[in-house]
Amino acid sequence: MTAIIELSAVTKTYDTGVVKVDALRGVNARIDEGEYVAVVGPSGSGKSTLMHILGCLDVPTSGTYHLAGEDVSTMTEADLAAVRNRRIGFVFQQFNLLASMPAWRNVELPLVYAAVPRAERKERALAALAKVGLAERADHKPGELSGGQQQRVAVARALVTEPALLLADEPTGNLDSESTTDVLNLFDELSALGRTIVLITHEHDVAARAGRSLIVRDGSIQLGAPA
Amino acid sequence: MTWLETLRTGLEAVRAHRLRSALTMLGIVIGVSSVILTVGLGQGAQDQVSAQISALGSNLLVVSPGSTTSTTGVRGGFGSSTTLTLSDADAIADKSVAPEVAQVAPTTTGSVSLIDGTTNWTTSLVGTTPAWLQVRSRSLASGRFFTQAEVDSGAHVVVLGSDTASQLTRGDPVGQTVTADGATLTVIGVLKPSGSASTSTTSEDDNAVLPISTEKAITGATGNSVSSIYVEGKSQATLGAAYAEITTLLQNLHSVTANNADFTLTSQDSLLETANSTNKTLTVLLGGVAAISLLVGGIGVMNIMLVSVTERIREIGLRKALGATPRVIRRQFLVEASVLGLLGGLFGVLLGILGAQVLPPLINQPVSVSLLATLGAIATSLALGIGFGVYPASRAARLTPIDALRSE
Ligand SMILES: Nc1ncnc2c1ncn2[C@@H]1O[C@H](COP(=O)(O)OP(=O)(O)OP(=O)(O)O)[C@@H](O)[C@H]1O
Ligand SMILES: [Mg+2]
Repeated sequence: MTAIIELSAVTKTYDTGVVKVDALRGVNARIDEGEYVAVVGPSGSGKSTLMHILGCLDVPTSGTYHLAGEDVSTMTEADLAAVRNRRIGFVFQQFNLLASMPAWRNVELPLVYAAVPRAERKERALAALAKVGLAERADHKPGELSGGQQQRVAVARALVTEPALLLADEPTGNLDSESTTDVLNLFDELSALGRTIVLITHEHDVAARAGRSLIVRDGSIQLGAPA
Repeated sequence: MTWLETLRTGLEAVRAHRLRSALTMLGIVIGVSSVILTVGLGQGAQDQVSAQISALGSNLLVVSPGSTTSTTGVRGGFGSSTTLTLSDADAIADKSVAPEVAQVAPTTTGSVSLIDGTTNWTTSLVGTTPAWLQVRSRSLASGRFFTQAEVDSGAHVVVLGSDTASQLTRGDPVGQTVTADGATLTVIGVLKPSGSASTSTTSEDDNAVLPISTEKAITGATGNSVSSIYVEGKSQATLGAAYAEITTLLQNLHSVTANNADFTLTSQDSLLETANSTNKTLTVLLGGVAAISLLVGGIGVMNIMLVSVTERIREIGLRKALGATPRVIRRQFLVEASVLGLLGGLFGVLLGILGAQVLPPLINQPVSVSLLATLGAIATSLALGIGFGVYPASRAARLTPIDALRSE
């Protein structure tokens, strides 16, 4: 198995000016291609911080991070943008959809920055929406969709570039149980198709669906026990 | 991302936030249109006065009675005394004394009620000589002007200004008769419009011109005093010489010096100069007011832009998370701000031009749209939009995506 994520001695210190918070204190981790990993741990332990670094949304204070073999800890802002665009799909707890645009326009957004031609963009966006079961809602704006549907639109957006890595930070945190099941079933399907998924969660039954769990405590990873 | 794509994204953002876009543009629209209108108003007033003065005649000198700088320190009313006479006019016309003078038209002016049947029209009565027509650069729409013989005989003939003619008679007035102060006058001609814009107080097109002898007979004036003497110089180049000749001649005739002169000699140029300098002050003043309104509009634009960017830092974060580089973000906001600035500027120009059409009849003042002020106003509004839209956006574009996403 080839590693898609390799973290070695990664630290992250937030300096608020008043106090310094060591959110990550020397994290070593490896995630292979095609794995479905749940990141669990108590609140404030550093799960989101870890995920932001994995997603290249933030840079580590020290340590190295190889994403698909490339060292991203030394990349420029523009290169990181390209890496995020091509290799990573995000699903956030708050959905983060643009309210002014219909679902399909939200989904095609990563393709805009990938310089994909217009006609192809629409086609791929609609295909991604069909995959999450929202083909007939393509023209609805986020405000006209339920929370679960909005999160599925976000998943479609994360998938549309066919990224190597799907990162989800408490994707079901704002959803009722029925929508949670919908989204998790979707993740199961994607995992079965070989997509690498890293999912942060508080809930044990959610973590149970993953192949293994990374337990974060006080900024370090404890042990990766197979679920 | 291509520029075309960026343009599309920018336009979309403008459309997506219609109210905010409209408010941003409103500031620019008001600023630009008020610059156009106020500067246009000043410019219009200036053009109008220039046109009126130019329409007086070419190479024109005007002698009026009274001194503008009285020796007693009291400023006598312009043309209030009666120190100019027909013999002064004859002397100026003497080629051996004033060789640079081409023609001389002594003129008396007064007010009279003309009656044509049942129509009664008050107009200014101008008594003069045949030279008046050329000295004042006028021409006839129909009929003829009176002759020297008619001046000598005091013939009861009259030439009407175009406005007067249309007020007084229907059809061709030539050959009809009008009554003035009990005297019956035969209309022998009608003047062409002077081409100068009329004001509410004076019009070069509302008058009745007749032989000076006839005018004196009708009004019962005795003596040979005149209201003013119009002099046409031989050429523009020698107008200064003509000016000097007339000044010396009249000073000798009236036994006065420059210090206690009882007449005033005005050239068209000096009139223009005076008029322009007062109008410039007006234009500068109006321009200042306009600049302030543009500034106020600009502050509004700045305000809305700052708020809108702050409001959209999350959007910027999301776009960055999905792969937008800081450069792409900057471009997007550049396009948005430019579109708002340009559209606002364009609507402002349209509104300004529309105002320049609608306003003049209402306020009885011409408004001439100045290209320079228009371009300046557009450039300013564009600069305001770009400056205040792009600067905060590019600051936001430098945030890490997660910091931007987390902001509220
Ligand atoms: N921008 C920041 N500035 C300062 N401190 C921060 C910042 N973000 C996170 N922290 C701190 O870093 C630590 C880890 O935060 P993080 O958000 O990663 O926790 P988490 O495991 O995701 O918690 P939760 O389960 O509640 O989401 C916390 O102590 C938090 O207060
Ligand atoms: Mg978290």
